[in-house]
Amino acid sequence: MSFTRLWGIFWEYRDVLLAGIKVTIALSILSMLLAAVLGLVVCLGTLAKSRLVRAPAVLYMEFCRNTPILVQLVWVHYAWPEIFGIKFDAFTSSLIALALQSSGYLAEEYRAGIESIDKGQFEAAQSLGMTYPRLMRKIVIPQAFIRILPGILNQFVICFKSTSIVSIIAVPDLMYQAGLIVSATFLPMPVYTAVALMYFLLVFAVSSAVRMLSRKLPMGGYFQTQQHAAV
Amino acid sequence: MQPSDPVIRIEKLRKRFGALEVLRGIDLDVPPRATMAIVGPSGSGKSTLVRCINHLERINDGAISVGDVKITSAGVESGGRKLSGREVANYRRGIGMVSQSFNLFPHLTVMGNIIEAPTGVLGWTRQDAIERATALLRKVNLEDKANAYPATLSGGQQQRVAIVRSLIMDPKIMLFDEPTSALDPELTGEVLRVIRDLALDGRTAIIVTHELRFAREVSSHVVFMEGGNIVEEGAPEQVLGDPREVRTRTFIGRIGD
Repeated sequence: MSFTRLWGIFWEYRDVLLAGIKVTIALSILSMLLAAVLGLVVCLGTLAKSRLVRAPAVLYMEFCRNTPILVQLVWVHYAWPEIFGIKFDAFTSSLIALALQSSGYLAEEYRAGIESIDKGQFEAAQSLGMTYPRLMRKIVIPQAFIRILPGILNQFVICFKSTSIVSIIAVPDLMYQAGLIVSATFLPMPVYTAVALMYFLLVFAVSSAVRMLSRKLPMGGYFQTQQHAAV
Repeated sequence: MQPSDPVIRIEKLRKRFGALEVLRGIDLDVPPRATMAIVGPSGSGKSTLVRCINHLERINDGAISVGDVKITSAGVESGGRKLSGREVANYRRGIGMVSQSFNLFPHLTVMGNIIEAPTGVLGWTRQDAIERATALLRKVNLEDKANAYPATLSGGQQQRVAIVRSLIMDPKIMLFDEPTSALDPELTGEVLRVIRDLALDGRTAIIVTHELRFAREVSSHVVFMEGGNIVEEGAPEQVLGDPREVRTRTFIGRIGD
């Protein structure tokens, strides 16, 4: 098969592929945003003094991290309607399942970040009369966030790749659209190869962009201070 | 309150870390506007004592009274009522604390470090806070470092910023926990000068220090601690110049000044 003919096929189905890419990107960004908020709430829960708050938060975190994404997806989409009496469309179910998964990992990531902040930072903030919520918001979380940025990026990449699984409940993401094209053209090799390349380029672009951005943060040698303090 | 009533009254204070008792029944009154130097060997409980006063450490027994606030093993109370987290924060903001490791916030500039609490806690406008901060920075010769990040400053500069950060809250009481112990010897002078000229002005202060000459120069009272007890206390000339207790004499002889 000639390259021109191959290119012709992709060109013919460009709208199908583009629609898939849009769904994949939307799904990964929305679920990561949701997970970022959920993860923070859960993380603060796991750090709470009261066991009544801590226990469910830890349970949630462990559940999310220790169940496969495929199982979570099917569970949310097919079991939640019976458990909670609410039925979601496939896209929303996917969003929830992906957010569940990522929020568990992010909660753990946040916790590690917060616990890595020197006790002296808490004490300095307390001595200045800051309440716990204020010192967390203004002093601890910003520092922790910068430390765990690589971990968050990593989780975003994992989440992005995990979206490919939502095609099994017929969410029209890139993977699902590729399946459609294959069943119309009977050309699995070139189509799936092209899709693999597309995922690679998208993920690579995202991770490179975030890496570059994180280098530009106005930190003035933040990590140097940490090394200095450790001496 | 009588003018001569102590600002801080510590009674039978005990503090344990696990099985180790680091404060074994401390009784101490700090009169208004006193500058009290606490000296003694490492592990004598000096730092812990100071950290109990602003409730960074919980205490196991006894009591600390500051104004109408009373700290006991049950927590912080006032008028027989336990204080909320917000009220404890209010109590702390009247007590400045400077520790040996500076603890500047590394993600904020020097200016950001100084104005965070006045704007966030006291509700000053940003402009007022910057104005006041600039005036204080000028007094410690760091006006040109307002936009620098802490990591780019020397230890002595960082500690001066930490002092300004405390002073802008205008605390009634200042606590210094070995403020120069982490500094190179040639940087201690600039920090001690700032403490003497700026921080002690009209305030009640407690300074935990190994700088005996400085203690003698600035303090109105000196306390010598060892093994979680107060061994001797009195005027600086007496405790540091002509100690009554053998243990004090040995310590001063050893540290050599």
